[in-house]
Amino acid sequence: MEHTTLAHHLILAGLLFVAGLSGVLLRRNLLVVYMCLELMLTASTLALVAFSRFNQTMDGAILVFFVITVAAAEVAVGLALIVALFRRRGTVQSNELNTLCD
Amino acid sequence: MISTLATIDVAFKALAPRNADWASIMPEICVAGLSLLCLLQAMFSPKALKSLIPVTARIGLCLVIAMACISNRAWSPTQGPVTTFAGLLQVTDLTMGFRLTFLISALLTSFLATRFLTERDAVIADYHHVLLVVTAAFMLLIQSHHFVTLFVSLETAAVGLYILVGYLRRSEASLEAGVKYLVAGGLSSALLLMGIVLVYGSLGGPGVDSLNFDQVALALNAGKATALTMVGVALIIGGAAFKLGAFPFQAWIPDVYQGAPTPTTTFLGTASKAAGAFILFILVTGPLQPLAGKLAPLLAVASILTLLVGNLAALAATDIKRVIALSGVSHAGFILAAITALLVAGDVEGFNRNLLSYYLLAYIAGSYLTAQALVSIPVADDHRRPLLGLRGMMRRSPTIASALGFGISSLAGIPPSIGFFAKLFILILLAKLKLWWIFGAALVSVALSIHYYFAILREAVVRPTLDQEEVPVIEVSPTAKFIIGTLSAVTLLGGLLFFL
Repeated sequence: MEHTTLAHHLILAGLLFVAGLSGVLLRRNLLVVYMCLELMLTASTLALVAFSRFNQTMDGAILVFFVITVAAAEVAVGLALIVALFRRRGTVQSNELNTLCD
Repeated sequence: MISTLATIDVAFKALAPRNADWASIMPEICVAGLSLLCLLQAMFSPKALKSLIPVTARIGLCLVIAMACISNRAWSPTQGPVTTFAGLLQVTDLTMGFRLTFLISALLTSFLATRFLTERDAVIADYHHVLLVVTAAFMLLIQSHHFVTLFVSLETAAVGLYILVGYLRRSEASLEAGVKYLVAGGLSSALLLMGIVLVYGSLGGPGVDSLNFDQVALALNAGKATALTMVGVALIIGGAAFKLGAFPFQAWIPDVYQGAPTPTTTFLGTASKAAGAFILFILVTGPLQPLAGKLAPLLAVASILTLLVGNLAALAATDIKRVIALSGVSHAGFILAAITALLVAGDVEGFNRNLLSYYLLAYIAGSYLTAQALVSIPVADDHRRPLLGLRGMMRRSPTIASALGFGISSLAGIPPSIGFFAKLFILILLAKLKLWWIFGAALVSVALSIHYYFAILREAVVRPTLDQEEVPVIEVSPTAKFIIGTLSAVTLLGGLLFFL
């Protein structure tokens, strides 16, 4: 265990973050996009816990609780919106959402 | 063991909120209580009294506005910023103006929403509940002095706004706008959080709470900034710029504004934009002040591009809500110009630090006047309002036509409207500081905006209806007439307030 340093944690968090970001930008299915958004939040919380541990301050670890709570609220509202949209349109592919245009 | 507990107890007592802390957020507590009252009324009051829910919300909001004004009088500007809740919140001389912006937007949105939602068979109580929660969250956001309060209040507001945008469950447009806003907003908050984490991690150390704004400023002044910090700062600025709708985070704006119910569109365009503006201002003049030399050019470039992109896109739009949305982007450019100027000016005497609040209050008057006119016009789809639909408005309803006239002139900045003075003060400040590039871009943007703003007025007022055909007359409700009258007076005479 003594070989794991802050850099290891940060690299893992960075990889998770990039995976989430590329998913948001590249995927077309809204549910997958939404999962990728959550992945980005997870990456941030991982980095937060690592920083909190290596900086020896509790504040980061406390912020993690807030992030988890906020993410839960966001998922509740987000999934409700996506389900309601699916009921109306029968699709959750983002490239088929073209009601709004000039 | 017991001695450890005793030290922890002392530490807790030092951090515990004092009575003065609670008093300082009384307006926020009252707005949150009001939002619960709306729900309780919906649950327990008989059907005949359900129409009183918006009335409760409005009376409550008026009382809170009065209370905020009175509590501000007790606060003297000489005493400097007051930190409350062990450094989580901070009240300054600007807090009052910021709070008023949100309270007035919420009040006017309630007037817009009631008839709009009744016509579309949607629940009114829930809308007011969420609206007031978002308002309270915004009011806390602009007092935040710690990244935890900033993130939590920003997210509370964002989640509420997702609901308000997708509120019309039977409308495809509203749901589509809601989902688009959800993905864009989720992405921006994920980036913002990563920014906060990087700043926290790279500036922190044992015993340093680097989520606190004062500590961040101290660490930056001590030259502890690394490449990681700079990435974090850029991501945080991006998160605030998304709320403001500044370039390059403006792509979501036209679709979301067009699809959202018109009351929500107006609330997004004013309160949410104001929140972005204020938090950006607080960040660059507070914790990120030591980086002002690097941030000022960045904000200047963003401001010029936002002004130009917003105006050029608005020139091409043909739907009224899209024109208003994209012109809102150019207003965001003006706001960014003001923030850049205030940042460059630093603590120089001789200009008003309330410039941002003035600009946004003027913008609110124009926006809500235009929106009140739009929601009074009956349409089949809320998201399809072509410019042609305004033709003959002068004969159909002179009230709506004049409301559009006053509202649009104020947004365009025609003298002597309130919008003209708001723009003028920013231009004067830019000229004083010799920021000629932004000054030029702002002037060009005013000239361009005349074109698309007056395209709306041309349809509504000037163009005659084809061969004098019979056009249906629109009835305007007494409440709407009252709001239109009040806001017209404000846009016309409000400019004089600046000289008091």
